[in-house]
Amino acid sequence: MATAELINEVKEHIIDVLHLEDITPADIENDAPLFGDGLGLDSIDALELIVMLEKQYGIRIANPADGKDVFKSVTSIAEFVASHKA
Amino acid sequence: MNQSIVITGSGIVTAIGNDKESVYQSLLQRKSGVALPAILQTNHKDIPVGEVKLTNDEMKSLLSVDDPYINRTTLMGMMAVDQAIAEARLVGTSKDKYRVFLVNGTTVGGMDITETYFSSMLSSEEHMKCMLTHDCGNSTRVLAERYDFIQDYTTVSTACSSAANALMLGANLIKSGQADIVIAGGTESLSKFHLNGFNSLMILDKGQCRPFDDTRAGLNLGEGAGFVILESAELAKKRGADIQAYLTGYGNACDAYHQTASSPDGEGAYLAMSQALSMSGLKSEDIDYINAHGTGTPNNDESESAAIFRVFGDEVPAISSTKSFTGHTTSASGGIEAVICLLALQHNFLPANIGWSNQMTNGITPTLGEENHEVNNVMCNSFGFGGNDSSFILSKCETAQTPMVFADGEIKVVSRVEIEDVAELARIKEYLKPMEVRRMGPLMRSTLLSSLDALKQAGIECPDAIITGTTLGCIDNSEKLLREMTSTDEASTSPTLFMQSTHNTIGSAIAINLGCHGYNTTYTQAEDSLDWCIKDAELLLRSGQAKSVLVGCHDENTEWYGWVQRAIGRDVIPNIHSVAMVLTLIDK
Repeated sequence: MATAELINEVKEHIIDVLHLEDITPADIENDAPLFGDGLGLDSIDALELIVMLEKQYGIRIANPADGKDVFKSVTSIAEFVASHKA
Repeated sequence: MNQSIVITGSGIVTAIGNDKESVYQSLLQRKSGVALPAILQTNHKDIPVGEVKLTNDEMKSLLSVDDPYINRTTLMGMMAVDQAIAEARLVGTSKDKYRVFLVNGTTVGGMDITETYFSSMLSSEEHMKCMLTHDCGNSTRVLAERYDFIQDYTTVSTACSSAANALMLGANLIKSGQADIVIAGGTESLSKFHLNGFNSLMILDKGQCRPFDDTRAGLNLGEGAGFVILESAELAKKRGADIQAYLTGYGNACDAYHQTASSPDGEGAYLAMSQALSMSGLKSEDIDYINAHGTGTPNNDESESAAIFRVFGDEVPAISSTKSFTGHTTSASGGIEAVICLLALQHNFLPANIGWSNQMTNGITPTLGEENHEVNNVMCNSFGFGGNDSSFILSKCETAQTPMVFADGEIKVVSRVEIEDVAELARIKEYLKPMEVRRMGPLMRSTLLSSLDALKQAGIECPDAIITGTTLGCIDNSEKLLREMTSTDEASTSPTLFMQSTHNTIGSAIAINLGCHGYNTTYTQAEDSLDWCIKDAELLLRSGQAKSVLVGCHDENTEWYGWVQRAIGRDVIPNIHSVAMVLTLIDK
């Protein structure tokens, strides 16, 4: 399980790397979808998130299609990170 | 009237050969030129590329050139143009005999040299002279100055469709009577910059690319140059030049969908192909072969297949992507593939689509190559980032072309907006939502703000065409990418930075914002960029291809680039400068 601390850290990375200037971590719901109807991110954002995972956590996603499940929500990203840390 | 445009010379340099004959032999032998990098000094040793098998020093020696900072883009361009003018018997022509123009498509320009010295140039002026030839327009200038009979020149930078658009402008300049002969095509060197950029978009295949195959996993980048000599059939006959083919049709449209992805139904590609067919007077069944854009990315091949089915229905002609041989030569591809199409016409053969073995769902089935196959009319597709889609048709014989009639009358500036103050850019929020603005650097904001203001003042929601000029495009993004690439030793680059570093990203962003599918192109001829935009707009307006054209010229500066400009003795350009205007034609 991802800790509240890790979830907040992931949110801060997302805001920073995707230039979500007017958004604070509190504005992003942990389990809300990031793409499509949720936050409204697009395919370039997904690529930026792949770069972010590699830079911040040293995790490589080789196939962009694999990102789909990981980037469902902040919780899913944090859990993915936690599982790689373990 | 100079309506019938012919090709009287051509030249080619690619990974599969440095002249037409060797390229032809490689195509027949199904020999790909894609291999692990041997010349490009990259850390990505595992990413295959289609390199021209000559070092810069070898080319300099062949060309008798000794400038230490001359870039690879220019050198390859010289190799191809030398061949083309020899075939067209233009060598030794005097400057006052014909009005000869050069229209060159490139986006990389001198980036290969810039990235070599970038690290040093962050703190030292020692190699800064190399920045004199960094911009695309300068590659064209140096190329043009090699031939003393060239009167004028310009550069088209619509990423991967640059050379195709160069051919179209060339033909229009001749049809309108402004030029007698146009050397048109494109040249593009591989660079670490765009190798890392495409890699960050995760669309590079780590093996040999397989266009239109169900298992395709991306493209291989390539490099090279391809140029043709265009003139009227009338002049060619008068000069006694051999006619290699007729340029019978062409079309340019914008997909207006996404900066790096094509729409599922291939709207831009469909429009470009339809316009080319319509101009040529040919029916879809008259096309014997399509040289597809066919990059090998899942997205392109699916979208292009959809567009081809929309144009050709069940009767799809033989199709192949020769990028399986050359790699994707980006800005040069339209020129290189034009020469490959000339070879298909000349030798009556169908170039293969190597690497293909699995039928993709909803995809075209490419030809695996065929000799002794009569080829009379070929279509060539080139699609660029931002949805800058173009298509042209080469034919063995004259066709019942739709003539272009150029009207007299006065070009009217309906509205004009200029932005010179960064503080003004905050106003972009009047037009765009925060989620749309967040990724945009100053130049992107300034381009959109000035353009949308100009359209609003003119009372036009969507113009018929968008023509954009810029010297360097989003240099803020390019510089950041260079810094990131250098400091991480190519380990990491941001896809957003790369996406916005191509010059046509600003012109296509306007089209995407407006949903404008009309003609869309970008000129990068330094201080002459705006003049070329206006010249092209005038061609569209006078020929009735457009009733309203949004024209603009946009550039930005950074602290580092300001220092570079002072060091090399150039005027320091403002931090932001946009001019946008709407033009129409007032009939007399």
